[in-house]
Amino acid sequence: MTAVPTRTAAAPAATSRTSPARPRRQRGHWLFLLPFLVPFTLFTVVPVGYAAYQSLFRTQRVGGTFGHTTSVFAGLHQYREVLSDPDFTRSVGRVLLFGIVQIPVMLLFALVLALLLDSTVARLKRFFRVAYFVPYGIPGVIAALMWGFLYDPRLSPVVDVLHKVGAHPDFLGSGSILWSMANVVTWTYTGYNMLIIYAALQAIPADIYEAARMDGATGAAIAWRIKVPIVRPALVLTGVFSIIGTLQLFTEPQVFRSISTSVTSTYTPNLAAYSLAAGDDYSEAAAMSVTLALATFILSFGFLKLSSRKAQA
Amino acid sequence: MSMRHRPSRRRALAAALVCLPLVASAAACSSGGDGGGGAKAAACTKSNGKVDLTFWSWVPGMDKAVAEWNRQNPDIHVTVKTTPAGNAGTYQNMSNALKAGKAPDLGQMEYDSLASFRLKDGLADISSCDPVKQASGDFVDWTWSQVTFGANGKDGVWAIPEDTGPMALFYRKDLFDKYKIPVPKTWDEYYQDAKALKKADPKASITHFSQTDPNWFTGLLWQGGTSMFSQDGDKWKVDVDSPANRKVADYWQKMIDEKLVATDLQGFSPALYKAWNDGEVATWISAAWGYSTIRDNAKATAGKWAVAPMPQWNAGEQKAGNWGGSSTAVLAGSKHPYEASKFAVWLNSDPKALEILNREGGLYPAATKGLSLSALQQPVDFYGGQKIFDVFAQASKGVDTKWAWGPTMTDTYRFMSDGIAGSLGGGGKLSDVLRDTDAKTVDSLKKQSLQVAE
Repeated sequence: MTAVPTRTAAAPAATSRTSPARPRRQRGHWLFLLPFLVPFTLFTVVPVGYAAYQSLFRTQRVGGTFGHTTSVFAGLHQYREVLSDPDFTRSVGRVLLFGIVQIPVMLLFALVLALLLDSTVARLKRFFRVAYFVPYGIPGVIAALMWGFLYDPRLSPVVDVLHKVGAHPDFLGSGSILWSMANVVTWTYTGYNMLIIYAALQAIPADIYEAARMDGATGAAIAWRIKVPIVRPALVLTGVFSIIGTLQLFTEPQVFRSISTSVTSTYTPNLAAYSLAAGDDYSEAAAMSVTLALATFILSFGFLKLSSRKAQA
Repeated sequence: MSMRHRPSRRRALAAALVCLPLVASAAACSSGGDGGGGAKAAACTKSNGKVDLTFWSWVPGMDKAVAEWNRQNPDIHVTVKTTPAGNAGTYQNMSNALKAGKAPDLGQMEYDSLASFRLKDGLADISSCDPVKQASGDFVDWTWSQVTFGANGKDGVWAIPEDTGPMALFYRKDLFDKYKIPVPKTWDEYYQDAKALKKADPKASITHFSQTDPNWFTGLLWQGGTSMFSQDGDKWKVDVDSPANRKVADYWQKMIDEKLVATDLQGFSPALYKAWNDGEVATWISAAWGYSTIRDNAKATAGKWAVAPMPQWNAGEQKAGNWGGSSTAVLAGSKHPYEASKFAVWLNSDPKALEILNREGGLYPAATKGLSLSALQQPVDFYGGQKIFDVFAQASKGVDTKWAWGPTMTDTYRFMSDGIAGSLGGGGKLSDVLRDTDAKTVDSLKKQSLQVAE
C-alpha cells in the first residue's frame, strides 16, 4: 500500500522538473523494473489478491458436532458481517479519534523541530538530527514495552515522582490508555517525519532567503511565509503516511494488552482482524483486512485530493 | 485436497504435477486412500522397519524425556522440536502445517484446544491402537473424559493426557497470621478475609483479577459445576450464562465493586510480581503448576506462602477447578499412528518419563500413578516446608469430570477477556460478560457452520 501514495505525492514535483517529452518506445525498462516487480508481485499483489479471494467464501459443514468442512462461495456475505459488527465500528471510530488528535500534534512537532534545525542560529545540528531520529530506529515492540514500564504505576520511576508531588495519573486506565498509545506513536515517529520535512527544507535555494532578508523579513516571517509553504508537499506526504500508520495501529495495543486491563482484542481494526484469524475465521478476517485496506486507500487519497485542491485555491 | 495420508515426497510431487491443471476439479485429485486422519478410526497397525517421528512441544526438558525414549526404543526414533507455547503461535503453526500436509506426527495440546483441532480434522483417532487400549484406565478420570470428549472411548480417543492444573489457594501465611485472618474454607469466608485485609492494610488486596487470563476465570467456573459446553446429539449446547456461572460472576463483581481485588494487574506481568514481592497481593487461586510461578518471580517472599484447598461454595464440599494442563495428540496425517500413540502413552505414564517431565518441566501428571511420584511427596522449602502437592492431589480428585470445551475456545476466551476489560474499567458487570460471551459464542459456532441447540 505504501508505494502508491509515495509515487503520487512525488508526481507534481516530477512533472514540473522534466519536460513532457514523449517517451520513446523501449522494452529495456522492464528489465530494470524486475527487481522491484517480482518481489512486489509475490509479496504484495498475490497475498492481497488471495485475501480478497478468500473473503468471498464461508465455511459450510456436514455431519454433526465435528462435521467436515467445505468452503462455499458466499459473495459479499463476509463484508456484511464486518460492517454490521459493532466492535469493528467502534475500533474504526477509535483510530479515527486517535488520528484526528495525534497526527496534527505529531506533524506540528515535526515541523517545529525541522524549522529549528534548519534555522541559522541552531547549534549541534548533526547531534540533534540524530537524537530526534533515534526513537524511529527502536523496534516498535521494544518501544511499547519500554513505555509500558514508564506508565506502570507499580514499576515506573516517573509515576513515583508524580506521586510525590501529589499527582495520581492512571496512564493504563480505560480513559487514558488511547492517549498513552498516542504518546508512544508520537515519540516514535516525530523524528522520522521531521527528517522528511527537514530534507525538503534543505532543498530550498539560499537566494530566496537572501531576497527575503533584503526585503526586511524576520526569521519567523521567513519560516512561516517561505519555508512552510515550500515544504507543503513534504507535509502532505508525512500526513498520508501517518493516516496509513494510524489505521493500521497494531503493535502498541497488542503490547499494552499484557500490562493494561483495558485493551480489548478488537481495540483497533488491525487487532480485530488478527483476533478473527486466530479464531480460525479466515474469511471474515480477510474481508476485514480488505475493508481496512480500502478505507486506508480512500482516506489517503481523499486527503491528497483535499490538500492539492487547497494548494490550487 | 486431502492431505491426511502423507504419500512419499516423489509421489506427492508427481500427483501435484498431474493435478496442477485440474485445480478446478480438485476433488478428483485427493492423494489416495481414506487415511487414518480426522475421519473414523482406521486400523492402527505397526509399521515395518525403523520409524521416525516428529513431535512439537513447548514443555521445558521435553528433549530429555525424548532422549530417554530414544535410548530405550532404537526402532522408533522421535525428534522433538521446541516451539513457543500453544497460544503464542504454535497452534497457528500447527493449523497451517496441517493445511500444507507438513504437520508433525505428534503435538503438545492443551485440553481446551482439542475440540477445535478435532473440528478442523487435525487429530488422529487413536482408539484402535493397542497401546492406547491398554492405557485407557491409567489416567485421572476427568482427563480421560477430556481426550474422549466425554464418551469414554465410544467417540474415539483423540490424545493422551499429559498434565493437569487442579486449583488451590496460594496465600501469604505471614500476612494472614500477622493480621489474624483465618484461612478461608468457603468463598464467603474468603470475602470476609478480603475485607479484613483491606482494613488492616489499605494498600493490600486479597488477590488480583486479571483480564488476559479468561482461562483462570473458567477454572473458577469449572468449580461451580456447569460445563460451558456440551454436545446434544448433532448440536452444540452453550451454557456459559448458566445460574451456577452467574453466581460465580456476581461474587467476583462484588469483590470488584468493593475494591477488594486489584483490577489493574495483568496475570504474569512484572507489575504483578512486584506486587507479590511487596506484599500488596495476598493470595492467588491457581493451578498446581503455579507453585513455580510464585517461586521464580516472588523470590523475596520465600517461606512466606502456603497452600490451602480452594474455597468452597458450600461448606464441607471438596470441589476444585482446573486451570490448564495439556495432552499429547497424534496429528492427522501421521503415517505411524501406532508408533506415535505408543510413544504418547509411554511419555505420559512411564514413571521415568513422568519423573523427568515433573523435574524439568514442573508438570503435574495426569496419570494416576504419577500422583505418587516421590518428588510430589516432598516438602517444598519455598512454601515453608509444606507438602503442597498433597493439597493438589486432593484437588485433583475434586475436579468435575463432566466439564467440556467447545470447538471455538479461542473466540470464547476472547469474548470473555474483552468483556472483563469492560467490567474492570467500571463499564459493565461480570454477569453481562457471561451473557455476551454466551451470545457471541453461539454466533461464532454458527459462523463455523455448526448447529447450536438453543
